[in-house]
Amino acid sequence: MIEVRNLTKRYGDTTAVDDLSFTVHPGLVTGFLGPNGAGKSTTMRMIVGLDRPTGGEALVDGKRYQDLGQPLRHVGVLLDPAAVHHGRRALDHLRWLAASNGIGRGRAEDLLEQVGLGSVRHKRIRTLSLGMKQRLGVAAALLGDPRVLMFDEPVNGLDPEGVRWIRDLMRGLAKEGRTVFVSSHLMSEMALTADHVVIVARGQLVKETPMETLTENGSLEDAYLDLTSGRGL
Amino acid sequence: MRNALAAEWLKLRTVRAPYGLIAAIGLMVAFGATISWLLVQDYDTSPAAEQAKFASADASVVINPVVQFCVAALGALVATSDPRLTALTAVPDRKRLLAAKSALVATTAVVIGTVALALSIGSSRLIMGDRPPPVAPWDSVSDVLPWAGAAVLSILVTGLIGLGLGLALRSTAVAVVVVGVLLWGLPAITPMLPEPWNMDVSGVMVPYLVYEVAGVVENAPLSPLAAVACLLVYAVVTLGTGMVTLLRRDA
Repeated sequence: MIEVRNLTKRYGDTTAVDDLSFTVHPGLVTGFLGPNGAGKSTTMRMIVGLDRPTGGEALVDGKRYQDLGQPLRHVGVLLDPAAVHHGRRALDHLRWLAASNGIGRGRAEDLLEQVGLGSVRHKRIRTLSLGMKQRLGVAAALLGDPRVLMFDEPVNGLDPEGVRWIRDLMRGLAKEGRTVFVSSHLMSEMALTADHVVIVARGQLVKETPMETLTENGSLEDAYLDLTSGRGL
Repeated sequence: MRNALAAEWLKLRTVRAPYGLIAAIGLMVAFGATISWLLVQDYDTSPAAEQAKFASADASVVINPVVQFCVAALGALVATSDPRLTALTAVPDRKRLLAAKSALVATTAVVIGTVALALSIGSSRLIMGDRPPPVAPWDSVSDVLPWAGAAVLSILVTGLIGLGLGLALRSTAVAVVVVGVLLWGLPAITPMLPEPWNMDVSGVMVPYLVYEVAGVVENAPLSPLAAVACLLVYAVVTLGTGMVTLLRRDA
């Protein structure tokens, strides 16, 4: 479970996240929606301790991310698939991540097969396509077999087959009782994937609701645009 | 800490840059040995009066600044080569991450420094043979130990300087340029200062400190112990600045 309580982030006079509170429950795919600059990525970065909140807190299974021993065993994170050393081989990238959290080398090998990158395990990351890098990021997130997963725009750069693959993966992970928190701009994709949605705009919570409630009178896109119109940058 | 250190070691040896730096050091050791051999050939064919004016054929003095620079670049690479987002997601305890990086750089620097100095001093010894000073500046290996120890200490410190600057500046290129200024730029300028500042300020420059630590400078501004302390101040200040940046700034 992810609990965000009165989370605030200010950069000088700019408030990126403003007293934001919501809960992401296990067993569901929770979509995190909002216009560009709404504070989605900043919120996710604060959840995993990359950015320090100006106020409030974010807890994963009751603890701050920084206080989780071997955090990759608790939380799998895909925030930016380009945040890798592009000169390193795909397998070596997973191996050092695994070593940092006491995870065996065999897990890295298995995961590369699982995400369809077994044949390119010894290729340097710079030679991989955007979609392959996205899959490598997913493999890194799954490395510690975590109960909580966070994906920031996971379908970016994926072809239709890849989009379906990641949709099925997220749905499967939620079905196993894991907490899946995913941000996306693609309403059609979110409508197919998410069970629950958290909508933010200008750093503030606009709506937190089950998907079926939001879409009972129309499409997710219509509901989203109604809720966020005039709240963009 | 053990996991973080294992990860840092794996990161270091799975990219190409460190191998390039080690190859550069190896080439410099070979180049130094070649120069040493050429110098000895020239010495052997020179008249006795000329032989008394020859420079030392000990190549380790020449290669030490290059080893310092390469190890400092390695330190900067350890700090900057992996995006912080990924590094801090895997090891969110920033103090532990810094400790792992520092331990890795310190160990690597000492190993590389010791091997490079040993190869250079050993090859120089073989080439110089039993020739007298000044071309062979020391009689036995024990005579060269203070210098070798000082050189390895300086290599350790420059590695930590590179790491600290990399963490503080968050750019390999900028960190390496600042290292170049510290190792070569400033020491080239300080002798031009008016007396007595020229000696006082030059005396705290990294290249000069190595000789002061070894105790081979007559009328040195600093004693060997004070010079060791001064070298450590460089490491503490740069690493401290890097630590503050790592601990306080968002990734």
